[in-house]
Amino acid sequence: MRLKRTVTAAAVALSLLATSVACSKSDDAKGDGQIDVWIAFTDYRLDWAKQRADEFHQKHPKYTVNIQGYDSYEVLFDAVTGAVQKGSPPSIVQYFEAATQDARDAVDKDGQPLFVSVEKAINGRADVLGEPVVLNDVVDAARNYYTVNGEFTSMPWNTSTTLFYANKNLATKAKVDKVPQTWAEIKEACGKIMKLADHPKHCVSWPNHGWFPEQAVAEQGGLIADNDNGRSARAKKLNLTSPELLNFVKFQKGLYDSGDYYYSGKQNDWDGPKNAFAAQEVAFLMTSAGDATAIVKDGQTGGFGVDVARMPYNGDVPYAGNLIGGATLWLTAGQEKGKEDASLAFMQFLNNPTNAASWHKTTGYVPITKAAGAQLETEGWYKDHPYAKVATEQLALTNGSPAATGVLLGSFVSIRAVVTQAIEDVLVSGADPDKRFAEAQLAAQKLLDDYNSLYGG
Amino acid sequence: MPIYPLMPPLFAAVTLIGALVGWAVWRNAGLPGRRGAFVVAPAALLGPLLTMVPLGSCTFEPGRTGLDVGVGVVAFCAGSAVLVAAAAWIGRALSMPGGAANLDDRADASTFRGGAPVSLLLLLPTLVVLAVFLYWPLAETLRLSAQRTRRGNPIERFICVDNYTALLGPSLEWWFVVPLVALVVVAAVAWMLRNGDLSRLRLTRRVRGWLLGAVLVTGAASLFGATYRSVFTTTMILSGGTVLIGLAAGLGIALLVSQPIKGRAVYRTLLIWPFAISPPIAGILFFVMFDPLTGIAGHLFEALTPWQMPNYRTDPVLARGLVIVASVWKTLGFTILFYIAGLQNVSKNMLEAARLDGANAWQRLRHFILPALTPITFFLVVTNVTYAFFEIFGTIDYLTKGGPSGATVDAMTSVVLAQEWTGDGAARSLILFAMVLAVTAWQFRVTGRRVHYGQ
Repeated sequence: MRLKRTVTAAAVALSLLATSVACSKSDDAKGDGQIDVWIAFTDYRLDWAKQRADEFHQKHPKYTVNIQGYDSYEVLFDAVTGAVQKGSPPSIVQYFEAATQDARDAVDKDGQPLFVSVEKAINGRADVLGEPVVLNDVVDAARNYYTVNGEFTSMPWNTSTTLFYANKNLATKAKVDKVPQTWAEIKEACGKIMKLADHPKHCVSWPNHGWFPEQAVAEQGGLIADNDNGRSARAKKLNLTSPELLNFVKFQKGLYDSGDYYYSGKQNDWDGPKNAFAAQEVAFLMTSAGDATAIVKDGQTGGFGVDVARMPYNGDVPYAGNLIGGATLWLTAGQEKGKEDASLAFMQFLNNPTNAASWHKTTGYVPITKAAGAQLETEGWYKDHPYAKVATEQLALTNGSPAATGVLLGSFVSIRAVVTQAIEDVLVSGADPDKRFAEAQLAAQKLLDDYNSLYGG
Repeated sequence: MPIYPLMPPLFAAVTLIGALVGWAVWRNAGLPGRRGAFVVAPAALLGPLLTMVPLGSCTFEPGRTGLDVGVGVVAFCAGSAVLVAAAAWIGRALSMPGGAANLDDRADASTFRGGAPVSLLLLLPTLVVLAVFLYWPLAETLRLSAQRTRRGNPIERFICVDNYTALLGPSLEWWFVVPLVALVVVAAVAWMLRNGDLSRLRLTRRVRGWLLGAVLVTGAASLFGATYRSVFTTTMILSGGTVLIGLAAGLGIALLVSQPIKGRAVYRTLLIWPFAISPPIAGILFFVMFDPLTGIAGHLFEALTPWQMPNYRTDPVLARGLVIVASVWKTLGFTILFYIAGLQNVSKNMLEAARLDGANAWQRLRHFILPALTPITFFLVVTNVTYAFFEIFGTIDYLTKGGPSGATVDAMTSVVLAQEWTGDGAARSLILFAMVLAVTAWQFRVTGRRVHYGQ
């Protein structure tokens, strides 16, 4: 009896082993037609990408595109690190804009660059595997951001910018007849709105995220780092004590101290301000253009109209431009030619006018190519959704200077954390902006120095 | 490993101390002290190699700062201490009659029929799991803590103990000096009273114990630089608050639901409920309830009182308080459960006898129920401290994200926030590890003395 049981157990174990070996073999057997694409979305945006992958497979039956979604960019980077150490990185990786310097410095396990420039890989071709190249048609703001040393290194995909949202009903009631365009106008409008008998708890809100001060500095034409914001050479020296940055911090502190600005109390909290706007606890909201569709819908549900306008700027200095946000697709180096071309072809397919227009309608990200914008125009999309055009128009206002293009920094995520912490201390703990940002400058500069000591040659 | 001028005297010092420790330990066990000195001293001499070889004794290089040397001395002595402890423990057991059997903590320990090979074979799976999931990560954390390296881009550069010194910044503060002076005074008084009145002596000794704890905590705090000092303070406040309030509330509620009341089975089940919720969910629940704009707590507060509900997300004191409340609420079920079980084991006869002798309810609680509950309390202190150190993080992450202005960043949260710089995170997690070691040692010393297991 006991012998029988032992034999059965051994047989089961063996068959399990055999199956798993067979399975792993069959994975390998699928071979070179597999294009692995790793992105940091797990919601409807992942579904959208998977549908495009299926369509690509139908057009090019030789290749199967496997889209793998990850919870966040950090988790995605960890997965890429693991895959690189195993020697099997995916073909295409999505990195967010603040990690551009990281992607440029990323190496494989032999110390060779992990990614290859998309422009170089395309090498002037007009189409790859029959997919027309759209890289050259990308809107200027995104092209400038991801172009370094004259080379367009990656294929932009989801791109947004910061916009300003106004509650039409509250504005009308307070006789604010036009959406504030400058910081001074925000103060003025808030003064009127907070005088209403049934005024909202606060007047305006935006997330405490590094992106917003960066936008404000760009608008005023200020630089965050040396070497033309890290664009003519690697950034070595940060500047977090510039008048441009402190102007914005003091403006925000003024609004907070007067009770006009609502701080949700958490750093990098995108939902808090948005929910406050939806609940009509604030009259104005500043946040990503990617949320435009959702916010307009919130207004319809809550019974109020929403005006979508460009991000307000400092009216006392000339306007230079606004930055993009979002993410871009990087091409892994060292793939064999056929696979590399298939990866390039998929990047072009994903952003062709039809798909880019569909992506814009699904998510609210800006139409990434001019052709996609033109197609939306002819379709009459903007007639029904006028707010959808504001982001594109805002990005077109840029003067193209390094300040308005945005900074490239190593350890950018940690540096942003230093900035948001300093802003929180200024708002909540009443720290003096000049003193607090002098401290932040030291801490952030150390992060950049540490980063450059690892990657800066 | 290079030898720098500072190191030979250190080696001599730890060898001498090792010899003294060995002598004392062997004498204590009734063995010849000289033999102990000969066994332990070599271990003390070799122990520093555990830390100095991986570091390449970089902390003693000429031109290093005092802080580097300080950290180096600690690492040097820590390595020595580990080997001394092992040598003293195993060596003493082996040199006593009975040999290796002395390592078992009970006289009635039995052995396998097949001897050591069979038992080792059976232990192998556990040892492998421990090695792969515990010891190897620990060794890797130690290694990483001496590297400058970033998540997502695996280039490493050896930077000696910079990750540690960045967190340190010793300074002499009044809040350390005052308890220290008080401790010296009280210790002197206790020494003078040592043959005198017993009740006064007991009181001074208790005060001395409290002051010693205060000196240790403030001393540790004054070692850290400004940034990590706030992390350390927050850790102490949050874990102290969670454990003390949790145990007191748990015992109070357990006493109430142990009364003969109608439907107490229902109350008990409902009370234990929150324990089934994970710390992040507790964080989300409190986040929603106390949301400054839309939370139900604010609505109730403003409906029942004439004041505006203060916003915990911009008030450091309230934020810490709310984290403690959420954590206590989450563990309360567990504490209640164990106290109910403990209360059922308190001898009814003893309480009856106490009542007949005229002890009132408070006296019965203080002198009979609490002492009878000490084993449960000890167990709950251990589990609650572990929870407070390692799991409150889940609640903090959803409730405050460490804000406002870092007021709720405890040691664990600071490890997670350092996630971009892996080496820095490794150093922070080893400091947390040292804190937990210290707290565990304290628990076993203090609580162990006051635990009564009946008989």
